[in-house]
Amino acid sequence: MTRSEIAQTLITLVRKEKDIAENLLTPDTVLADAGIDSLDSLTILFAIEEHFKISISDTRARAIRTFGDMIDAVAELVPAAQ
Amino acid sequence: MNRVAITGIGIVSALGRGSDATVDALRAGRSGVRRITSFDTADLNCQIAGEVPAFELEGPPRAHDRFTRFALMASAEAAGQGDFRAIGIAPERVGVLIGTGLGGCETLDASYRRIYRENATRVAPTAIASAMYNAATSAVATTFGARGVSYAVVSACASSAHAIGLAAQTIRAGSADAMFAGGADAPLTYGIIRGWEGMRVLAVDNENPERACRPFSADRRGLVLAEGAAVLLLENFENARRRGHPILGEIAGFGSTSDAGHITDPSADGAARAISMAIADARVGPDAVGYINAHGTATIANDATETKAIKAVFGAYAVPVSSTKSMHGHAMGASGAIEIAGSLLALNDGFLPPTINLERPDPACNLHHIANEAAERQVDLFLSNSFGFGGMNAVVAVRTAVAANLLPNEG
Repeated sequence: MTRSEIAQTLITLVRKEKDIAENLLTPDTVLADAGIDSLDSLTILFAIEEHFKISISDTRARAIRTFGDMIDAVAELVPAAQ
Repeated sequence: MNRVAITGIGIVSALGRGSDATVDALRAGRSGVRRITSFDTADLNCQIAGEVPAFELEGPPRAHDRFTRFALMASAEAAGQGDFRAIGIAPERVGVLIGTGLGGCETLDASYRRIYRENATRVAPTAIASAMYNAATSAVATTFGARGVSYAVVSACASSAHAIGLAAQTIRAGSADAMFAGGADAPLTYGIIRGWEGMRVLAVDNENPERACRPFSADRRGLVLAEGAAVLLLENFENARRRGHPILGEIAGFGSTSDAGHITDPSADGAARAISMAIADARVGPDAVGYINAHGTATIANDATETKAIKAVFGAYAVPVSSTKSMHGHAMGASGAIEIAGSLLALNDGFLPPTINLERPDPACNLHHIANEAAERQVDLFLSNSFGFGGMNAVVAVRTAVAANLLPNEG
């Protein structure tokens, strides 16, 4: 799976949980600034783990600040999962 | 001591959503017990319940557990009727007490199913916060910006009667000026029904659900599980009068006792003491009570014991009694609130709601039954009995609209 495919899937997953305009989800978007609070991000991470059948560690999850960080976290695990 | 006015009523149960649907069903003596549709009951012995009809579930977001969604529906109706947005009370003086017997059953059931049946290693991050007993209280407080005294009240099937009684005491004592008070429960899950089946107190009549619940009847077979919520908007009586808002009733008294006895076997003494306490708290005599909405679960133990308790307090006075659980089933911790709200709606409309399915009363339950058909009657004050497992008893005395409005303020 390419990085842009991952990004596209993540946009879909995020928007399922939170009504955010697609163009606001760029790699530089700080999640908190986009209105995603801590409970929202937990719910989104849960959806991501379910979708990709991966497990993102607590330490790795805590380091996610931007949408780009989220793509990185998934990209690290997805090739391994396949 | 402040008087406590009821200025809003919200209700959702097997009888439908809203005050109008509730009054219609209570007047017609129409049962809301039916076959469960919200999940697959194929391998359950009991396939019926007082389930809230699926089409009534529009509204509050699915992110909340089912019991919280019911609480939000009922609160919204109560707030709308009470014109809460114009109440003119500081948010810090508004509180929320929502009782529940079992909390977020839907969330717990779904989460355990994932873990133990589907071998999943994770559950939704919202599971804990959705399942907690105070989730409904919190959602109501957040929705209406209530920043005062707020917590959940838990005493099994007496939870919401305790919540309403405690909320009234909070206003009486001057600790708040308005309270959202009531209860919500949504126990219709596979696991919970299995638990009740194990107790062998469920009335199982899958072919004739509307006939299954027969309180006080010689052939009663047990209770029918149900779900729903009811919430009252309670308000400092003087404030309600000052703002000229219609007063729908008054919480006149509250009695609460513990059996300190058996965990599931009720005691007539504990119930009778709670009834007496509520009457004394309302500063009236037993003869002032025009109607009792009984706990009346239709279990063998409850109905005979409750009869003894009522007779111990009322003696020769044959106070009219009915159990509306015969129609809406036993909504656990929400029952007390559903019965207080339903009775008040009925009595303000000029009738006593019946116990249906009562063709042949049990001689051990020889009360003055309002059997099978509603009775036209004006009543000034009624009691609502709620007795929970664990020997937790709560009785609320309520003055109806006309009587509450006539009573001078020193009353």
